[in-house]
Amino acid sequence: MNRAGQRIALALNALLLAGLTGVAAASSPLTGAPPAPPSGVSAEDKPWDGGGTVLLRWEASSTEEIKGYEVFAHQEVSGSVAAAEAEQSAKDEAEAQTEAILEGEGVAPEDAEQQAGERAARDVAPVTDVPKWNSLGVVPPDQLEFIASGLDKSTPYRFMVRAIGSDGEASADSNVTPALVPYAQWFDGAKLPLFCILFVICGAVFLYVMLARSGMPMKIRTIAGLKAVDEAVGRATEMGRSILYINGIQDMDDLQTVAGVTVLGHVAKTAAEYDAKIEVPTSRSLVMTAAREAVQSSYYTAGRPDAYNPDLIYYVTDEQFGFVAYVSGMMTREKPAACFYMGAFFAESLILAETGNSVGAIQIAGTAQPSQLPFFVAACDYTLIGEEFFAASAYLSGQPDQLGSLKGQDVGKIIVGVFIIIGVGLATVQAATAGMPSMESLHEGATSAVDFLVNTILGS
Amino acid sequence: MSSESTFNPADVKVILATDCGSTTTKAIMIEQVDGVYRQTWRGEAPTTVEEPFADVTVGVINSLTEIQEVSGRRLLDDQGRIIRPATADEGCDIYISTSSAGGGLQMMVAGVVREMTAASAKRAALGAGAIVMDTIASNDKRRPHEQIQRIRELRPDMVLISGGTDGGDTKKVTEIAELIAPAKPRPRFGKAYELPIIFAGNEKAQPEMNRVFGDGGFDLKITDNLRPSLEQENLGPARDMIHDVFLEHVMAHAPGYDKLMSITDAPIMPTPGAVGDILQTIAKGRGINAVGVDIGGATTDVFSVFDGTFNRTVSANLGMSYSISNVCAEATLPTILRWVHIDMDERELRNRVKNKMIRPTTIPQTLEALVFEQAVAREALRLAYKQHKEFATTLKGVQQQRTVGDTFSQQSGGETIVDNMKLDLLVASGGVLSHAPRMHQTAMLLIDAFEPEGVTELAKDSIFMMPHLGVLASVHEQAAMEVFERDCLVYLGTCVAAKGAGKPGKSCFSWSLDGGSRGSGELQFGDLEHVELGPDESAEIEIRPARGFDVGAGPGKVLKRTVRGGTVGLILDARGRPLALPEERQACRSAMQKVIDQIGLYPAAESTPVTQESGSSD
Repeated sequence: MNRAGQRIALALNALLLAGLTGVAAASSPLTGAPPAPPSGVSAEDKPWDGGGTVLLRWEASSTEEIKGYEVFAHQEVSGSVAAAEAEQSAKDEAEAQTEAILEGEGVAPEDAEQQAGERAARDVAPVTDVPKWNSLGVVPPDQLEFIASGLDKSTPYRFMVRAIGSDGEASADSNVTPALVPYAQWFDGAKLPLFCILFVICGAVFLYVMLARSGMPMKIRTIAGLKAVDEAVGRATEMGRSILYINGIQDMDDLQTVAGVTVLGHVAKTAAEYDAKIEVPTSRSLVMTAAREAVQSSYYTAGRPDAYNPDLIYYVTDEQFGFVAYVSGMMTREKPAACFYMGAFFAESLILAETGNSVGAIQIAGTAQPSQLPFFVAACDYTLIGEEFFAASAYLSGQPDQLGSLKGQDVGKIIVGVFIIIGVGLATVQAATAGMPSMESLHEGATSAVDFLVNTILGS
Repeated sequence: MSSESTFNPADVKVILATDCGSTTTKAIMIEQVDGVYRQTWRGEAPTTVEEPFADVTVGVINSLTEIQEVSGRRLLDDQGRIIRPATADEGCDIYISTSSAGGGLQMMVAGVVREMTAASAKRAALGAGAIVMDTIASNDKRRPHEQIQRIRELRPDMVLISGGTDGGDTKKVTEIAELIAPAKPRPRFGKAYELPIIFAGNEKAQPEMNRVFGDGGFDLKITDNLRPSLEQENLGPARDMIHDVFLEHVMAHAPGYDKLMSITDAPIMPTPGAVGDILQTIAKGRGINAVGVDIGGATTDVFSVFDGTFNRTVSANLGMSYSISNVCAEATLPTILRWVHIDMDERELRNRVKNKMIRPTTIPQTLEALVFEQAVAREALRLAYKQHKEFATTLKGVQQQRTVGDTFSQQSGGETIVDNMKLDLLVASGGVLSHAPRMHQTAMLLIDAFEPEGVTELAKDSIFMMPHLGVLASVHEQAAMEVFERDCLVYLGTCVAAKGAGKPGKSCFSWSLDGGSRGSGELQFGDLEHVELGPDESAEIEIRPARGFDVGAGPGKVLKRTVRGGTVGLILDARGRPLALPEERQACRSAMQKVIDQIGLYPAAESTPVTQESGSSD
């Protein structure tokens, strides 16, 4: 059970106990001696976990009729830590009293501070070695073990258990367990499903990379937007106009900007081959530098280093709408024949795309911003949608490593898709069979499966 | 040339038409019989462009003389001139001609971007009936010196240059002109011949063209831009200009053509251009989509009209004699042998291919040879049609209009417009198709190579009359249409084919003819059925495709259509589309044997020896 589930169980147990004790107190007066405490309380750190969990076991109380057992924990705080806590507590108390004195007694601030310090020193309890037992919860009388979770991984704990008699009276303390640190093991068993999924996906990536390297053809669905790059650049060439490339408005720390620079390399290479003019205004100085390098490299690859002009790749402004105003104005004046919008876009997406559309340009957009995609789809000729945009570098390069990686990731997506379908199906069965006596076993099975998926697979 | 002669179409009773091919000049006579134009007589004579005659009109007169002799109608006077106008028993009203002699019209085209203006230039040239020798473009991956070298190697009849939209690029198109001008390509005919350059590009680049080609040695003609904008293709003016230049320059320099031009009543057209024209006329007249193919010894021409858009391609390396080796190399022998149901020795086949190449006029003498030749023809046609599909596309570089609904279905420009499901008529011509011993073989060659889907009429050009009718359509459309329907086409029948894939033995579609009174049945996937339906018959067919199969009304939807009969009849094809034959040789042979048995392609009585008329369309 995960941490949230544990908390819910504890809350339910507390409510149960409160109910039981309340009923007992109301129905029967104190009639006898308190029950005998449980014996043989032992604690051990839960193996193969992420720390913070202890398994407690004990032997039943010799008293037959009891309501349950209450489990207590004591966190052993070191002296320096306890002193620091007391000091902090005194300081907080002093501040509170200072404010109270200032508000109520009308003394000078310096005097109020002094008086508050003195009172706090008196009021705050001194540090002692008496254990501070915190109740972790109550369990029914037939349960002789308890999982204490949510504990601090770095400090030792002691535990003890009290039996609660039928009249609500608690027994004496049981034996106290030795101090135990609930530390984390090197592998958390709860993460096993995640590990399995990771293994399958990484294995698939590795396998496909190997297959691609061995020469096996890797088929990638044609991405219309990338296929249309030649068409857009060709249009610019025939019309004797420029190509405009906008790399988003975010900096190089945004993955979309990085993907945009990759696509820019391809567009620039095509432009170099066609001897078309490509203009790249940027809204971040680092993007300008990266874009210049990408374009220069493309011109070299195309065998046209002489045609590379760094002045056509320039920084405009970091301001979102200042940048948009500049680009829109330039589009209206120069009427580029092809516009590319590749990167992270926000409110400016529709402004740019509509302006480009109005000047008769072929427009190709690519972004992973879901909120901007509809605008690009409606206003542009071609749009690379989310994953397509990120897959562009593999698609364009055709390198075995990148293609294999892309295929392997597809396997991961298939696994996720399968789990979603199974989960939805099971949850539907669970909901549909609830309250149907003839379907009880099916309902229980579905419930267990859903619980496993939610708590174990997703919880990991 | 008497092309300006005027006549009243209603008064035209007798028409003479010739097609001057490389080897044979074919003449036909069309007469009005019972108020309807019919092709009545035909004659042939060797073409006389080469020495010792070196006068094309000699062959023309000889072919007309043959018609005169067989028809008993006097067509030529004592001086060998065509008698006009027609009287009751002599002369004709119209004389027209096409020509592909001397290799036809050979052109080089150039444009700025290969897929845009250069592609439009190529379409214009091919549509005008030319053979495109090469396409020069700024992005054709060749260095300028390689382009110049190539231009110098070619000897075109004319060059067509396009590039830049109106008001668009001038720099690139000027650069291309500056490659051509100093390369000084030499024309095929005449030492004093100034190579015609047709410029159909950006109007703002016209002064630059005058400057570049004004130094002499070229005859620059300027016409409207082929792509005034990238959204628009305007091929008409360029095609007309090509025809004019063809007559003024190419024909004028060919032996005897000046005389021929002076006696025709309409401008002489290149043969393929005339074929394209008649196909367009028919498609427009009947409101259908049509594909025509002419497979010759060296080349294969494919013509198509889809939704009114005409396209023509010439596969210069796919043919049945001179180019048969290339077909085998391109298709590979195992692929060709997919269509063969009998065991054949590959070594012997290779020898047979080489023999056919060096002796192009030989014809198959055995059933085995015939089966193999038809297998090669299937592959040649399939490859030519594939090239045609790749060429006949929507325009590239066009701005698209999208809606949010297009999110996951963004179609790009340059998609093929050839859609076999929309194809209504498939017309075949060329020796291997026109002269197959059985019409069933021609029909199956077309079905296997073109893979028509849905309901498609199959026909063949009886005596390769389409060129004559193409030029006739320009002066007397009614006569051309009537002869085309009645005499030119031999209707083979109709093919009904389901699109989709399935497992052998599973139901593909059920059918009933005239409500079941003339037959009904159900076909399993992989089956083929032949139903007799005579040449002048038609019937109502109802086809119920199984789930996942489409016969034209949509997947799984019932189709009711009138189907036309023919010399073969109705062929119901449940082999699925795209057509996939078994990969394993033995299974493939069995599949072909099944097809042969079901259609009756090679009856035992005709197995050996096989007689076949010689010839290709050229």
